[in-house]
Amino acid sequence: MRFGDAVGFALSSLRKRRLRTFLTASGVMIGIGALVCMISFGKGMQKNVTEAFKAADLFTAIMVMPAGPSEPGGDPDEPGSRRGGGAAAAAAKGTLLDDAAVAEILKIPGVMTAYPEVSFPAQVGLGDEGEFRLVQVVPAAVAASRALRVKWGRAYANDDERGVVISGSFARRLGLKDPAAAVGRTLRIKSVSFDFAALDPGRMMTGGGGLPLAQESYDFPVLGVTGTAAFGEGGPGLGQNDVFLPPGPARGIKRLPITSVWDVFRMSGGRVGYSAVSVKLGSLRDLKAVQSRIRDLGFSTFALADQFEEVTKAFYLMDMVLAAVGMIAIVVAALGIVNTMVMSILERFREIGVMKSVGAGDGDIKKIFFFETGAIGLLGGAAGCLLGLATSLLINRIVNIYLARQGIPYGHYFAFPLWLFLGAMGFSLLVSLAAGIYPARRAARVDPVIALRHD
Amino acid sequence: MTTPVLVRTRSLAKTYVVGDVRVAALADVTLAVGEGRFVAIIGASGSGKSTLLNLLGGLDTPTGGAIEVGGDLISSMDREALARYRRHVTGMIFQSFNLVPSRTALENVELPLIFAGVERAERRRRAAELLDRVGLAARAAHRPSELSGGEQQRVAVARALANDPRILLADEPTGNLDSRTSREIVGLLAELNRGRNLTVIMVSHEEGLVREFAHDVIKLRDGRVVAEEGAP
Repeated sequence: MRFGDAVGFALSSLRKRRLRTFLTASGVMIGIGALVCMISFGKGMQKNVTEAFKAADLFTAIMVMPAGPSEPGGDPDEPGSRRGGGAAAAAAKGTLLDDAAVAEILKIPGVMTAYPEVSFPAQVGLGDEGEFRLVQVVPAAVAASRALRVKWGRAYANDDERGVVISGSFARRLGLKDPAAAVGRTLRIKSVSFDFAALDPGRMMTGGGGLPLAQESYDFPVLGVTGTAAFGEGGPGLGQNDVFLPPGPARGIKRLPITSVWDVFRMSGGRVGYSAVSVKLGSLRDLKAVQSRIRDLGFSTFALADQFEEVTKAFYLMDMVLAAVGMIAIVVAALGIVNTMVMSILERFREIGVMKSVGAGDGDIKKIFFFETGAIGLLGGAAGCLLGLATSLLINRIVNIYLARQGIPYGHYFAFPLWLFLGAMGFSLLVSLAAGIYPARRAARVDPVIALRHD
Repeated sequence: MTTPVLVRTRSLAKTYVVGDVRVAALADVTLAVGEGRFVAIIGASGSGKSTLLNLLGGLDTPTGGAIEVGGDLISSMDREALARYRRHVTGMIFQSFNLVPSRTALENVELPLIFAGVERAERRRRAAELLDRVGLAARAAHRPSELSGGEQQRVAVARALANDPRILLADEPTGNLDSRTSREIVGLLAELNRGRNLTVIMVSHEEGLVREFAHDVIKLRDGRVVAEEGAP
């Protein structure tokens, strides 16, 4: 029996039983639709995270910290817990993460830029009132790159320009409905610094204050405001902060030399090293080599690119869980196919006998039934892909309507790579053929003598 | 007239087991059919005529004895070999015509050619030629439900001839037809027998009709051959 004839037999049989074919293929369609929807969601999340990382140049970023073991019992999410003991050890060895170290790092081939992670606490507001925030010192080269995504206004042009960039969400917290309105306004930064002249042991003893602290006010024009992305603001290590200042003006600000208790440990013989230095690479290919060179200098490194493998594994796991949920619908659809085909054998019992009497072999009968289930699988698979696509787009729209009310811009939470559709079609075909094994074998074993007597 | 033996059975037996009961449909049937002969198998209902025809047609397998057709031992063939035998050596027609209702007369005649792997244009041509041969060229596009009993049986004859078989097996081909049409159909079989030197083995209980056309008559009773008239 020729391939084309087997296809013709199958299609003709399915056409004859249109309603049943439609209902059976609908089962496959729903199963494949659910699978496509689930996997496209997993892939969408993965794509968003990957693209957010890429957009922020996170894959080419290395965080350099003083070398050493982690603080016992420290919070791994708190940078200080990783760098504190190491800083002490590095300090003891004399390998301070200071300007000289930054200069050494900048000499390493492949390093595009390196800058210390400097931040200080300050009260920040549009007038005398404000909120306590960490002001981060970011070089102009970094601020102008994709790392700091300025949406309104601009980033500062050079390290000495007098101006700040603030986050969009901070602009809203400052009472501005439109973050763009912050551009051109004056931001007041009230820093806190040590003032030993104000030390009053008597008042401290009686709990009446007397801490050796002084507050200074500095005004800066807001040059730019960062946008609000679906996956956080700012960029690498910048996402958590709201106020960004160039190094030049930052040097003129009197401020506390520490931002956490671990910074106390970094002080070595009056010398104070940086808690961390951010390094930007020109290419991801240099990552391993640069990391190795920095470690040779006596510092530890942390690169998100290394961690991303684990993130990818987590996404694969999520895909598998989502696919497993979708598989339940496929299994139900497969049972529907088995049921339909067994019914079809009973209805066509005599016809099978006739075919055998005129020379059809067991293989021919199997082929006819396999092609029928295959056609149901392909039909249901194609419709399922369309259903999955339509459902995903609908869910995406509904989610975006809800998120828009929370101020989150439009996002694509589902991804539809071509392989997903081809894979879904292939899987649908495979499942359908597997579901056709039992009916095809049963049809092939029909006794022609009994079948020809059948009414 | 002596002709070479085409079909030979030796101590052929078929026993059905129904629950604990063994029913012998055929027992110790030994016969020989010469090539190009028109053989009629007659007998009462339940005498084993159809069982014998099914065994000769490779639709069923014996529980004892042997069947040899053209030197090949049919009784020991596996399922696929039997399918090939049905496809290329025999053509069968039945009392109830057994046409596929959803297919036209032409498509029904094409059916054996499909399983023989004949290319579409060639099988269309052959099927049309066969329908013309049985006088139904004008009814090629009609479905069985649009044809009379006689016409349906003619389509069945055309279908049985599709792969140019050596033996035509007819199981009560006139059972559902009036006497005039019955005569036409048996006449057609006899014409094919003469014109093509086609061996015809026909089961019937219309003794008078078959004696008019058949060269040999084999009479069965309770699964055994009780009389043979004529000689191969």
